[in-house]
Formats: sequence, structure tokens, C-alpha cells
Amino acid sequence: MSTVATFEIEYLQYLDADGKPVRDDLPEWSKDTKELVELYKQMVFLRVFDGKAIALQRTGKLGTYASALGMEATHVAIGSAMAEDDVFAPMYREYGAQFYRGVKPREVLMYWGGDERGNDFSGPAHDFAWSVPIATQALHAAGAALAFKIRKEPRVAVSVVGDGGTSKSDFYGAINVAGAMTLPLVVVIVNNQYAISIPRSAQTGAKTLAQKGIAAGIDSIQVDGNDLLAIRAALDHAIKRARHGHGATLIEAVTYRLSDHTTADDARRYRPDLEVKDAWTREPLKRLKAYLLAQKLWSEKEEEAWKAECAERVDAEVNAYLETKSQPVTAIFDYTYAELPLDLERQREQALALETRKS
Amino acid sequence: MPQITLIEGVTQALAHEMRRDPSVVVLGEDVGVNGGVFRATAGLQQLFGPERVIDTPLDETSIAGLTVGLAAQGMKPVAEAQFEGFIYPMMEHIACHAARMRHRTRGRLSCPAVFRAPWGGGIRAPEHHSEANEHLFTNIPGLRVVLPSSPGRAYGLLLAAIRDPDPVIFFEPKRIYRQYKEEVADDGEALPLDVCYVLRDGSDVTLVTWGAQVKETLEAAEALAKEGISAEVIDVATLKPLDFDTIHESVRKTGRCVIVHEAPRTAGFGAEIAARLAERAMYDLVAPVERVTGYDTHIPLFRLEMKYLPSVERIVAAVKRTLAAS
Amino acid sequence: MSTTKTFHLPDLGEGLPDATVVEWFVKEGAIVKLDAPLVSMETAKAVVEVPSPFSGKVITLHGKAGDVIDTGAALVDIELDPKMPQRAEAESTGHHHAPAKPAPAHSVGSPAPDDARKVVASDDGGEVAAGEKKPRADAGTVVGAMESSDRIVSEQAVAIGGVRAVPAVRALARKLGVDIARVSASGDGGVVTLQDVKNAAAAGTARASSSPLPVGEPGARSATDEGRASAQRPAPVVRSSDAAAPPSPNGRREGERTPLSAAGQPMRTSPPAQSAAFGQPDQVKGVRRNMARVMADAHAKVVPTTICDDADIHAWQPGNDITVRLIRALVSACKIVPALNAWFDGEGLTRTLHPHVDLGIAVDTEDGLFVPVLRNADVLDAAGVRVALNRIREQVQNRSIPPEELKGYTISLSNFGVFAGRYATPIVVPPCVAIVAAGKLRHEVVAVMGAIQTHRVIPLSLTFDHRAATGGEAARFLKAMLDDLALAR
Repeated sequence: MSTVATFEIEYLQYLDADGKPVRDDLPEWSKDTKELVELYKQMVFLRVFDGKAIALQRTGKLGTYASALGMEATHVAIGSAMAEDDVFAPMYREYGAQFYRGVKPREVLMYWGGDERGNDFSGPAHDFAWSVPIATQALHAAGAALAFKIRKEPRVAVSVVGDGGTSKSDFYGAINVAGAMTLPLVVVIVNNQYAISIPRSAQTGAKTLAQKGIAAGIDSIQVDGNDLLAIRAALDHAIKRARHGHGATLIEAVTYRLSDHTTADDARRYRPDLEVKDAWTREPLKRLKAYLLAQKLWSEKEEEAWKAECAERVDAEVNAYLETKSQPVTAIFDYTYAELPLDLERQREQALALETRKS
Repeated sequence: MPQITLIEGVTQALAHEMRRDPSVVVLGEDVGVNGGVFRATAGLQQLFGPERVIDTPLDETSIAGLTVGLAAQGMKPVAEAQFEGFIYPMMEHIACHAARMRHRTRGRLSCPAVFRAPWGGGIRAPEHHSEANEHLFTNIPGLRVVLPSSPGRAYGLLLAAIRDPDPVIFFEPKRIYRQYKEEVADDGEALPLDVCYVLRDGSDVTLVTWGAQVKETLEAAEALAKEGISAEVIDVATLKPLDFDTIHESVRKTGRCVIVHEAPRTAGFGAEIAARLAERAMYDLVAPVERVTGYDTHIPLFRLEMKYLPSVERIVAAVKRTLAAS
Repeated sequence: MSTTKTFHLPDLGEGLPDATVVEWFVKEGAIVKLDAPLVSMETAKAVVEVPSPFSGKVITLHGKAGDVIDTGAALVDIELDPKMPQRAEAESTGHHHAPAKPAPAHSVGSPAPDDARKVVASDDGGEVAAGEKKPRADAGTVVGAMESSDRIVSEQAVAIGGVRAVPAVRALARKLGVDIARVSASGDGGVVTLQDVKNAAAAGTARASSSPLPVGEPGARSATDEGRASAQRPAPVVRSSDAAAPPSPNGRREGERTPLSAAGQPMRTSPPAQSAAFGQPDQVKGVRRNMARVMADAHAKVVPTTICDDADIHAWQPGNDITVRLIRALVSACKIVPALNAWFDGEGLTRTLHPHVDLGIAVDTEDGLFVPVLRNADVLDAAGVRVALNRIREQVQNRSIPPEELKGYTISLSNFGVFAGRYATPIVVPPCVAIVAAGKLRHEVVAVMGAIQTHRVIPLSLTFDHRAATGGEAARFLKAMLDDLALAR
């Protein structure tokens, strides 16, 4: 018998959990120390925002909210690695990427606060909206990539799925098509170890999630998702390849969901406190801060000042959200079609009449 | 006697039937260890083990396909779609296989499966968690479509659904999952499928509804009673196959009918009932049939959600229109 | 002048009715910042930290450690500090998620509730602190928020048509084909129970379709038939005696009391200040109910014409049984004028002449009118007819007559003359086209060849449906009957 194919999955990491380099050859991008510090600040901002959003939910001012706690490095890396012209197809947690691309925190709050205008967010108008049906966004991103290929545009589509999402047929379909058609697509698996209550081990018999890309015939790599240096480097490489017509990449970013699935979930029902405590020791902000402090690129004083500024900015956004009046009842109708059909116009009138009678 | 909410009625029925019949298995996302995101399957994996209460990988297509396979080979699977908004990938297996199996094999194979899902709006949920899409199933031959509206009916109808030899879509109105408790004996007594439940006697108008809107409809009947208008309230419960006779009898008595459902209006299931009334009760009606429904738009996010769902006010107004018409 | 705001306890566990104060993190008079930890509350299963929604001075704490606070009740009063950052007010979205207390029926879409009804999920997303972390209250959902309550509700027995039963029992009766009006109720207050229905179904004692109804109505009015149109055998009758009041295309409110005027205004249905001077309306049930419906239906469809005459039975020898003779005469007339022993379909405009005679015999009882069928009256001899008649009467008497024997007659006979009455305009019930009614036998003065004699005569009335038969046919039919009745034996 002869072997017709072999494969291996590489694991990329630069900084260990304490922020100490594990290799000498730190990635090119990290030599831009301004960028490095800026991205750290973005991660802090994200975490401050995330905490406030949860407090809002807890005081009845926000609906169900999906926290990004613990995944800040991956999210910020995605946002910073993409060009404005590239297309982002998020899941529903990647605010860090989206803030980098120009989405406003108040828009995130509006979405979870029950207002569709949240999805009409700032930043590139071509970015996909948040996608709740799991992994469907991967196929949409593949479609965008196909459009770029057809139109010969040097643009890349980037999508995010969770570890749970890799079980879905949409995910398999997306990477398969990306491989079959050599699409400029990068799919990032944010493997935070849990799909609501289902641990990663129950999702598949495969040893890594990255290797599913092997079956699709695309480049596949596993990365320490809590190491900003690593995940950003992997993204830079993947996006560059895609932009130059060398096809798709599947990146498995290994991280941990430090929060509950959403603000109404209680993760303690299905995972032990010890495990979570242990995960906190490997969280992304801690290690990057340690690295920056060690490199004298950051200080505790700057940290305090920046946190205070973050709180101020976030509060301003929160207030802007809270002060936004709900859309009028006609908003229920106005975007159903490009042009409102007669049938629907009548219903719109009825709804309006009902509303006017009440006031 | 247990005093239970609607969701607990689901759990009680599942537990009862799993005890009684070893071929009953439950499968879905987060149903085992977590007991289901609404706790519908709470405690079941502890009682029956992970081979009968199965936490599946995250893929509705897989769940539906597995369910068809299990059912065809002698098991009685109760599959869960985590929300009705995520049931769409299951439709291929439901429409192409579950609903057709008996028919295309002349009875050699059949599909005694239950597909259950939390259903409907009104809980301030994010997108895709508030749909009312029962009408997509009521046109598929070979299926039953059932919606309980009380703890007792959740228990009794789910038992009946599991025992039924044909595939059943069992939608649970999540808005009223915990709205009140009822004494429901865990006696294994299944309620009849394929019949309507007359919840309130009346003589001036027949109100026909199902799901969470049973709540608003009963409230509307109360409000109308204060004005001297007597409304009969019918909970259809099994949409398909439809027990039209009960509705017809009521309309014979009252001459007026108002249908209430949260799903969008056009081609919603109310249209079927209105069509049958036109066919068979034309001369019993003294006013046109009214439908109080969701608009023909997607259900908005929760800031506007309550302006979309049929309200007591809209139901009362519709009733008064039928009275003014004659 | 700064405002004092009351912070009402939010719903900490998506539907939990209350929580217990564990520890205040502030004292009255202290300054608290927006989002700073205010108090820890214990719910059914866990301890939850609640942040402050305002910045300002704590004025009043509405409870001390150990007190139970209801969801929505006042928790703390804070005097806002205008110099400190405050959170903006958010609109209410009209959701009602606090548990219903003395349930004021809040409906979907009613005006916004007060601030008390906040929707909150408890959450400890955040660093796991060392120490006490009891399992948190189970929110019971992963998204959104729903109304949750511990109040107990039980569905009342609905009284319809005078029968009290809970909806599930009523539904089961329908499913099993049981006429719930005829089930003996063993529950308290005359409520029909599930077991009562099952017993009745098993014993076959209250079959819905066996409710003794006259021949069913084919065509559009039948509740049970879809494709079973007219022609052949009349369709089975409506099942439950909960069958509603008769439909009448014109003025369905004739004779029916309603509490509302046509304009929708409530109105009296009886004069004021009268006590028990009038009877109380009772729902018509069972056989009478069906009679009302069937007769109205017949009235709507049939074009009736009646022709009357007297049958002179002067020649009769002793031993003649009147009913048997009437039947024989009727059968004989059917052979001579088959047009009256037929079924007519007014919609399809078809007429079915029958080769045999199944005779409907009107039987009056306290419960109402029954019309059992004497099958094959044309082949029975006198003795056979008498035996069949007796059997039928007995079965009607003890209500054991099977449903099949109450339908499918081709022509009918009503012998109302037992009591009084001469001529009548009996009702033809579709799909039949004729009915014969015999009045009270009397001695009539007749002129015979100029001399006066008294003869016994039986008055006969024949109603026929003029859509299907002619006057000539009817007259010939009646003549045939008179001729046969005139025979000595």
C-alpha cells in the first residue's frame, strides 16, 4: 500500500500565558510598536464596553447580550488585519473587529436593544450584518469571495464561526466550495471551547478543528487565539495569500469563553469553576499587558488613564443609545420590500391609525 | 398532584413516556447536560442516560436526518430544534422524508417522530428567536401540527404526539412557557389530537386561535363580556388535521368569526379556516370573517415587537366590526 | 432642586418573583456611583450583585439584610447628583415580564408599564471571584425574557348547551364520537368527567351519531360531509347535540334573544323589575334541537303543496288494523305513482326513483319527533308490517333504535290523528318528495244515492315537493290510496 496524502496541522504561538516570548522570531507586524499598543488599547476598550453592556442588561436597559469576554485578541486582530475594502461576515460577538472597522458601540447596543438600526451600522457599508443562524455567514462570505473572483477585485472575505459552528453543514459547504473554486476567503474558527453547554470534545471526533480545512483542500492552521501576536500574524498571512489569488485559509483560534453564552445563560450549570479560573490565567489582556510592560511600551499609569477614558467614551455611547427613541410603528413595514406594495401599504395605514388613536 | 407550568408539562410528558417506552429518545442541542435552553429536558439525561437523551453536535440538518433514520428503524425520536427560527434546515428531512415515508413505501416504513421547538414571539429575544412559522408545515401532507396553550394540554398533547404513528411538529409557545401553573396529574393520559378545545362558551362571536395568542384572546373575551358581548373561544390546538366541525358548530351558533394568530397574515393558517368558513358556513355567517394577525412583515426586534403581535385591543376591535356589520 | 429616584428591584432571574437582601454595599446617606455595586440579593438559588442605576446619594434603603423584596417593589431611593454622570432613561418597550400579582390583565401592546416592570437577567459574566459562588438562579432561558409566575390556574368546566365539562373532556367526546349531552355526569356540580366520557364510549350508550335525528340533510348544510353530496343515501347526521341553533338565511335572530342591539348596544331582553314573571330560556337540546334545524332546512328548500281528501273505510270488515291498512295503501300508491316514492336533489337537479319502499313512520315522544324506518314495506304482508311496527315502537320507546334505522326512508307517514286534527300540511324533509298524514278517524255524514248515511272516514293529507312532482301525480297517488283503503280487506 502507498500513501497518497498526508497532512499536518501547525500550531502558532509567540507569547505564552504570562506574556513571555516562546520564540525569537516575533512577527513582522509586532515591530510596529505603535500599532501594538493601539491594539492593546482596543482590547481594553472592548472589555470595558463589554462589562457595561452586561450591567445594562442587568438593569433592564438592554435585551439579551452576547459577551466577547476572553476573545478580545482574536476579534481585534481580525479587525486590524482587514482592509477597508474587504468584507467581514461576523457571527454575533466580534465587536472588537467591528469597532476597528468603524462600527459604533451604540449600534451594537441598539441591536441587542431590539432596534434594527443597529444592523445598519457605521463602517464599511458592504460588511454583512450579525448572523444568528449558526455558520450561515460562512457561506455568505464564500459568496462574497466568489463575487470578488468573478469581478477580479483584489478583495478578501473574512468570516468567523464558533467551534459549534464547525459542525454545521453551512460551514462544511463554505470551506468545500472555497477549496473547489480557490476563493479569496479566510474563515476564522473562534474556538472558545463551548457551544452554549456543549464542550468542544462533543462537537466532533477530529483532533483539531483546523484539520477540517484539509478535507476541503485549503490551507489550515491552529493558533493560540489569546496571543494577539500570533493570531494577527496568521491573519496577515492568510489575507495576503487570498488577495493574491492563492486561495482560502482556515484558521482555528484557540481561546476560551470566559463569560456565559449570553447574559441569560448560566455556564456554571455545565462547566466547573476550576476550569474557568484556570482559563483566566491564559486570558489575552493579561499576557499582552505583561509583554508591553516588560518592553516598557506601557505603564500602569497609562493603563489607569486609558481605562478612565474608555469608561467615559463607553458611557457617552451608552447614553446615546438610551436616548435614541424607538422607530415609529411604520418602521415595521418600510424595509420589507424596495417599494412598499399596495397590500402592505394598507396594513401600514392600519397600524399607523391604531397608533394615532392611542396617543 | 403536580402543579406545573407549560414547559414543565413538556418535561413531565417526556419523562413519563421515556419511562414507559424504551424506544423513546430525545435529541437536540444542549438537551442533555444543560437540560435544554428553556429547561424542557431538565433532569432527563440524569434519569435516562446520554444514550437516550442525546446532546448532538450543532447542526439541525444532522438532527433531522438522524431523527428520520431513528424513527424508520423502530425508535421514537423526539427531536428538538432549539428555536423555531432554526428549524429551516430541518425542512428537507421533514418534507422530503418524514412526511412521505409511509406514503411512498405503502406503509412498509413509517416515521413516528416528534419535532418540537419553542415557538413564537413576545419575549424580547434577539433575531430569529421569535418566529411563528406553523403555516409552513400545515400545507405539507402527512404531518400533524400541534400547539399547546396550557400546562395540561402541553402534557396531554405531547404524550399523544409521541404515541402517534405519524410525524408531528410540536410547537411550544415560549411566551407562555411559565405564565401560570396548573395541576396536571402525571397519569399518562394523552389528550386527543385532531380536535379543537372550546375554552369559553359564548353566543355572539366565535374567536378562533392557537398558541400564545390564546392568552390575549381569552383576555379579549373577558373585556368583551364586560360590555355585554359574549364570545366563544376555541383553541384549535391541532392545526393539521383540522377539526373544522367544532368551529363550524360554533359559528352556526354565533354567526360571527374572528381568527387570531401571530404569524403574518397572508397565507397564514387563518386563511385556511376562513376559506372553509366560506365554503361551508356561508349561510351561517352574518358578518365577514375577521383575521387579527401579525402584519405581512418580519416580526420586528423587540422595541417594536409588541406593536406587531395581535393585541387585546385589536381583537376587541375586530369583534366589534363583526357586530356592526349586521 | 435635585430629583430623587426610586430603583425598583429588577427581575433578577427572568421571572423570579422576589429576592432576599443579603448585604448592602452602601449605607443611607452614602454617595454611590453609576454601575457601582449596590446590593447583593439572593434569589431562589444564587446570590446576584445588582449595580446602581444612578449616581447620587442614597436616601432610603427599602429593606435590611434578610428582608424579602418583591420583584418590581421599591429597593432603594437615590437622590440624583446632577454633577455626576447619569444614565439616560430608556423607553419602555411594552413587554410585561414581572410575575402577575393580583393579575390586572396586562395585554400585549397595552400602554407602557411603569418602571417597576424591568426585565433583567442575572449574570456574573466577569472574573470569577474567589470564595462564595453559589449556583445562580436558573434563568430558564438563553435569550430574552418571559413572564413567569407561580400562580395556579385551573381551567373551568365550560357550560355549553347546558352541559358542563372542561375543554379536554369535551374534545375527547368529540374525538370518540360521544354525544356529551347524553353522558351521565358524575363530577361535582354535574360536571362530565373524562371517565364518564370514556365509559359512555365503551358502552356505546351516547353515540353522537345515534342521537335520534330525522334523516340527515345532504348538501351544503351538513356539518360532516365533504364530498358526500346528495343522491344515494342521505348523509349521516350531525354528531354532538351541541349542534347549534338552526341556520336560517333570512333573519337568523328571529325569535332568538340577544343581549345586544344591531348597533352593538347592550339592551334588556326582559322588562325591568319583574321577578320570575317570565320563564327562563332553556337551551333546546337533543332531538328537539335537531328537529328545529331539520325543519328550518326543509322549509328553506322544499316547495310544498298539499292535497287533502277523506278515505272512506265504510266497507272495512272487522279485524283491520288502521295503521297497517294505511301503510298498505301507501305502498300500493307508490307502485302506481312512483314519482312520489323518490329522492330529489335540488342542487344537482337529479331525481332518484326507488324500486322499493322504505317507509318513515313518524313517532311522537316526550323528547320529540322520531322517524324510524320500516324497511321494505312493499314486500311485507300485513302480519309482517304489524310485527315490524311493534318492534320499531318498542325500540323508540326505550331509545335503543340504531342510528341506521332512523335514516334512509323513501317516503313517510304521519298518523297524527290519534289525538285530534283532520287535515294538515305535513312537512316534506329532503331528499324525500312526499309525506302522507292521516288525521283523526270520524263518522261523516255522506249522501249515498240521495239518502243520508254515516260512514267512517280517515282524513288524508298528502304534501309533495312541487319541484319534483306534479299536482297530477299527487292527485293520482292520493286516489290510489283512497281506492285501496276503500277495500273491505
